[in-house]
Amino acid sequence: MAREKIHVGLEIGTTKVCAVVAECHRDGEMRILGVGESPSRGVRKGEIVDFKNATQCVHDALADAEDRSDHEIKGVWLAISGSHIKSFNNRSAVTLPEESTITAKEIESVEFKAKEAGIPKEDVIIHSVIQRYYVDGQEGVIDPHGMMGTKLEADFHIIHGVTNRIQNAIRCVREFDIDVEDIVVNSVASAQVVLDEQQKQAGAVLIDIGGGVTDYIVYKDGAVCHSGVIAIGGDHITNDLCIGLRIPIARAEKLKIEEGSAITENISANDKITLKNDTGFSGRDIDRLMLNMIIQARLEELFGILRKRIQEVVPEHILGAGILLTGGCSLLRGIREAAESVFPGTPVYLAHAQAVSGPMSAFENPQLSTCIGAAKYAQAVHAEMPDESLLNRLKGFFSGRM
Amino acid sequence: MITYPRWLDRGTGKEPVLRLLGIGNAGVNIADRIAVRASLPLETVALNSDQQSLNASVASKRIALGPMTTHGLGAGGDPEMGLEAARESMSELRQSVEGADVIFLCAGLGGGTGSAVTPQVAELARANGSLVIAVVTTPFQFEGRRRSQQAQEALQGISRHADAIVHFENDRMAEITAPRAEAEETFAACDNILFQAVASLTRLISCPGPMAVAVPDLLGILHSGGGGFLFGSGEADGGNRAHEALEQALRSPLLDRGRLLHEASKVLVHLSGPRSLTFAEVAAIMQEISKNTAHTSLLHLGVSVARDESAPLIVTIIGHCGAAARVEPATPALKVETVRASSPALFVEDAVQFTPPTPSPAEPKTSAPKVKQEDLPLEPIARGRFEKVEPTIVEGEDLDVPTFLRRKLKK
Repeated sequence: MAREKIHVGLEIGTTKVCAVVAECHRDGEMRILGVGESPSRGVRKGEIVDFKNATQCVHDALADAEDRSDHEIKGVWLAISGSHIKSFNNRSAVTLPEESTITAKEIESVEFKAKEAGIPKEDVIIHSVIQRYYVDGQEGVIDPHGMMGTKLEADFHIIHGVTNRIQNAIRCVREFDIDVEDIVVNSVASAQVVLDEQQKQAGAVLIDIGGGVTDYIVYKDGAVCHSGVIAIGGDHITNDLCIGLRIPIARAEKLKIEEGSAITENISANDKITLKNDTGFSGRDIDRLMLNMIIQARLEELFGILRKRIQEVVPEHILGAGILLTGGCSLLRGIREAAESVFPGTPVYLAHAQAVSGPMSAFENPQLSTCIGAAKYAQAVHAEMPDESLLNRLKGFFSGRM
Repeated sequence: MITYPRWLDRGTGKEPVLRLLGIGNAGVNIADRIAVRASLPLETVALNSDQQSLNASVASKRIALGPMTTHGLGAGGDPEMGLEAARESMSELRQSVEGADVIFLCAGLGGGTGSAVTPQVAELARANGSLVIAVVTTPFQFEGRRRSQQAQEALQGISRHADAIVHFENDRMAEITAPRAEAEETFAACDNILFQAVASLTRLISCPGPMAVAVPDLLGILHSGGGGFLFGSGEADGGNRAHEALEQALRSPLLDRGRLLHEASKVLVHLSGPRSLTFAEVAAIMQEISKNTAHTSLLHLGVSVARDESAPLIVTIIGHCGAAARVEPATPALKVETVRASSPALFVEDAVQFTPPTPSPAEPKTSAPKVKQEDLPLEPIARGRFEKVEPTIVEGEDLDVPTFLRRKLKK
């Protein structure tokens, strides 16, 4: 085998479409071979609104990734987002006959039962993540396989989304005869590479603030206990600036990136930023205090909503590993301080993909967390099915000899 | 001369008398539900030929139909028998409709009692000068052709006399529950929809509020001018109530998950909530609904406020779609003609005693001035580049509007 297994993660984001080609080793290591990017058009709030434009962007990004990695992309793992994605926790149970051991069949049927929970007709389950098993009421069973018991219960975290909207994203990729091997929700993907096992055990919140949406996922005792999407992102800040300061959208975006900050302290009232004139826009002086106030208000509101939702499932003080911010918007100055003011007493960190190798510029960029995560997720899924791959390898071996 | 209070007079301060008649087994079921659950200003009367069902009923008044004809054993699915029973208990029926301003007739059509008695009661009530709204179901397809035919005949009979018919097809209602749901659950869900329909119509007519619905508007939509009736109702409380209630309402199978709203020519939206209902919530709901409706459709909005502070927010959407000729709601003179022309043989002598109601055509206009609800002073909300995309509504707030504007940080 000349090369290790190669996985491609693709994210169709609101600001950019990006594809990461990564080489995955059997021991769990991952190396990024190349990253392809294309500015996104036709995507709003993480969902496709202009199919033709979005398709073109996906094409550009994949072509770019092929160039840079020198690898022909045949299939991708697609990261999905959008406000339609919802989640809940569900417990299911199966009863076993006396004196029997739990086999894969029972474990499968307990998962199947958990998935039967009532989701809206137009929805489809994207993930069902195991949280914990109970055997005869005994808590904290990590793997019930082979145990004796009469009742197997399991808690699952179920993430579901609207089928049609997910189909649209998939169709976007299939336009070029590229296979979508599987889909993964943004927050689940990001957590693969940003959080490590200790953080998941200690309890952590990962907040991925992108251009159009904010994905979040909460871990407690090593298991997902909450996840969700809020359709607010960096675009909203830009839009707020555009309305509040009366400047064009493109100017507002530039101003946000170059000068924007969420800190309003220690700014004198006379601190002005001069915007140069341009065609269709006469130069203006912008009040820095005003600029930062608008950004701060938006971010504090966003964190406020997140805090409310997180508190419903986990009290903050048990989040040992604190809050990790990633995604393009986490590059905004002062975002950490804004989060700290909303979550007092909980440590807040800026985070990016960990435990991968490759060009530093790729994995240290929080904008790529989800995309790298999608590739990592692919690796994790493949690692979980050793039987099948072994069988396939054997098959290949025999057919090779014949 | 019988006075003919066709439209409720809101000016007099007198509470209108609303009465619900549950006819037949299915009807009694609904009457019970209303009597038990809702704190509605509604008198409930159970009418049935089956003594057993009456004994179990908790309606405030119970009337046995045709005790001699059926011996209290029910009509056994035979409309002839039901008719016989109605003939026997004519005076009780007449009594039951007396003194009510609005009468809801609830029945499951297709059986013996409901199919036969409901048209008769509708005629009596109508002649008595009440506003008659029939809320009926037609049988499942699997119940056979005979029953659906009986139901269709009954429906025609009712439509001659009732001011409005709210018609639910059981087949469509069964879609509410998941295909694998238990039978009992499905029946309960069907009953529940009927209950919701009656409850929201009652609220619509009787509840005071800053923006009451004019009865002509309601009838204009309910009027049985062919086409389909759309109904959706949802209730929620808590922070995100506006969004949740609306979502529930739109999810109603009778709206085909919101799709049928696009075809509706007239839509009436009624919001009933506690005092804490904010204008922003009303605006957010209306915005969402107007997105779901066609540009040409006529939207009516009504808002009522419950006295109870802990009341949930209830969103009701009522619409009419299909080939609805623009039936003027206020054409009682014409209606009377049909009533007389179609007087069935059964009531010949009674019909003579009635002086046909002669309302003045101008009455509706004077007693219930039509509020121009489409001229709502909705403030233009700045959403910038998110103007055309699905709004992000969390806890009733449209988060696409800049935070600093909502919090009024800017001077």
